Amino acid sequence: MSAQPYVEAPRRWGTLAEFAKLPAFLRRDLLTALSYRFGFVTGWIALGLQAVLFYFVGELVDPGALPSYGGHDVTYLEFAIIGIALGGFTALALGRISAGIRNEQLMGTLESLLVTPTSPNTIQIGTVLYDLVYVPVRTALFLVFTTLVFGLDLRAAGLPAALLVLMAFIPFVWGLGVANAGLVLTFRRGAGVVGFGAMILTLLSGAYFPLDLLPGWLATVAQYNPLALTIDSMRESLLGNAGTTDALVAAAEILPFSVVSLLGGLWIFRLALRRERRLGTIGLY
Amino acid sequence: MDPPCAIEADTVSRAFGDQEVLSRVSLAVPAGEIHAVLGRNGAGKTTLIRILSGLTTPTDGAVRLLGEDASGNPRALRGRVGLVPSGDRSFYLRLSGLENLLFFARLHGMRKRAARRRAGETLAMVGLEDAARQRVGHYSHGMQKRLSIARALLTTPPVLLVDEATHDLDPHAAEVVRAHVRELADRGTATIWATQRIEELRGFADAVTVLREGETVFVGSVSAFADAVAVRSHLLRLAPSHRPGTSELRTSLAGHGSIEVVDEAEGDFRLTLAPDAVLGDAVAALTAAGAQVTACREEGSEMLDAFIRLTESE
Repeated sequence: MSAQPYVEAPRRWGTLAEFAKLPAFLRRDLLTALSYRFGFVTGWIALGLQAVLFYFVGELVDPGALPSYGGHDVTYLEFAIIGIALGGFTALALGRISAGIRNEQLMGTLESLLVTPTSPNTIQIGTVLYDLVYVPVRTALFLVFTTLVFGLDLRAAGLPAALLVLMAFIPFVWGLGVANAGLVLTFRRGAGVVGFGAMILTLLSGAYFPLDLLPGWLATVAQYNPLALTIDSMRESLLGNAGTTDALVAAAEILPFSVVSLLGGLWIFRLALRRERRLGTIGLY
Repeated sequence: MDPPCAIEADTVSRAFGDQEVLSRVSLAVPAGEIHAVLGRNGAGKTTLIRILSGLTTPTDGAVRLLGEDASGNPRALRGRVGLVPSGDRSFYLRLSGLENLLFFARLHGMRKRAARRRAGETLAMVGLEDAARQRVGHYSHGMQKRLSIARALLTTPPVLLVDEATHDLDPHAAEVVRAHVRELADRGTATIWATQRIEELRGFADAVTVLREGETVFVGSVSAFADAVAVRSHLLRLAPSHRPGTSELRTSLAGHGSIEVVDEAEGDFRLTLAPDAVLGDAVAALTAAGAQVTACREEGSEMLDAFIRLTESE
């Protein structure tokens, strides 16, 4: 090296520049995921096996005990497959969003991120962006795959409406995950909380059985579970005749939960990060 | 009016619970200076670096970087500070060196093409171009340190904070890292260089702050540091045919210092000079007593002695 002034590479600043950083996170996590090919493949196999399991359970269930959608009777697998997909989506997204920042902390890269001119929100979003893209795609592919393999009667025409509801639901899960990421940053442990939260949400969602089977008061509570609202609306779209208008109504019901969840989650995360800076313990794990 | 120093810490303190790990530490580093921060384990070096980099807030005192108040850890300021952390855990080990640098360059706001070009340039600067596509997990310690330097070079930082960059490197790798940092300083970067390797200060650092249990015990130039508290011991070899008895040698030295036998058979003696004594006068006194000094060399490192004396607990 010779002593001459550097020519500094041009840099961008501002909100748009922050958005422009997000693809870098996506690329990083895609390359990382591809480097773990075995885990990538076995995740898919596990999901397929779950569908097979519910296929055989479905052989024992009387379709008459299940609700009908748009006047159509459904099989148990058709009923459960949307619950499996959404339940899996919720558990996976919650776990990964919660673990994203924790993994950075464990790898020692969190501090490297925080000393760059990147806002904590961009870091938080960037850390989960891959999963926010991958998990819904995985869910959609799972539904298509099981429909083809098990001959399920899911309506392709209902897919846009189902995706609309899913889009309204994603910020809800994201917010919970971010809030938990903040708790993990503070308390260093949080996998148990995520598992417990996902279990409660799924239990009260009607994913595997109709909510009518719950005790009356619990069934009433469950009607306000955003996951239950999402699953019910997606069933109406994919198994019944519900259209985009119905989906918009459902999305309007889900969105307030999502807004509160996301804003609350980001607030908790920022508080946790500020606390870590104050205590000087960001790098500890 | 003099331009403000690039790095200024004004009576910075930091406590963790009841334990104060930094106590009213002040330093000022102008552009182009390498300022070493020296101290034993737990002296507060890393805490100081973390405060300067915005990763930890001080409990008291103020930090100014490039003339700006750094207390709020402003984002634009972060883009002008390079950090070379201690340890290896600061990269994505499953990604290549090039992909890591690309990622961090993008976080510094560079466009994709500029980021790729700059990442390639900095990898070449630190001699890692051949390992650019290797996973960082397969890099040696020295390579990871060089990658850290490359990351700090991405943005041409006017402020560079280096935390124990050479403590686990072999002498050659450490020299390579120091050369890169010296190069940056020559281009105007103000550098804080936290270290325990005092032998690397001479010919490298411009100034030094010595910390002991969180407190500043010395601030000044490297030569002033060596002179301040140096114990001046020398090993002498005396010719067998011209070697008076030990008591005679001691008597001849009088106020110049003391002498003791190290190896009787070889004729080796340790001469320890009195505080204000001059080596030439002491040797002349020994010669006058009949001794013939055939060899003389410093024993150990003056700076090592200075370091030990400054940092040992009271």
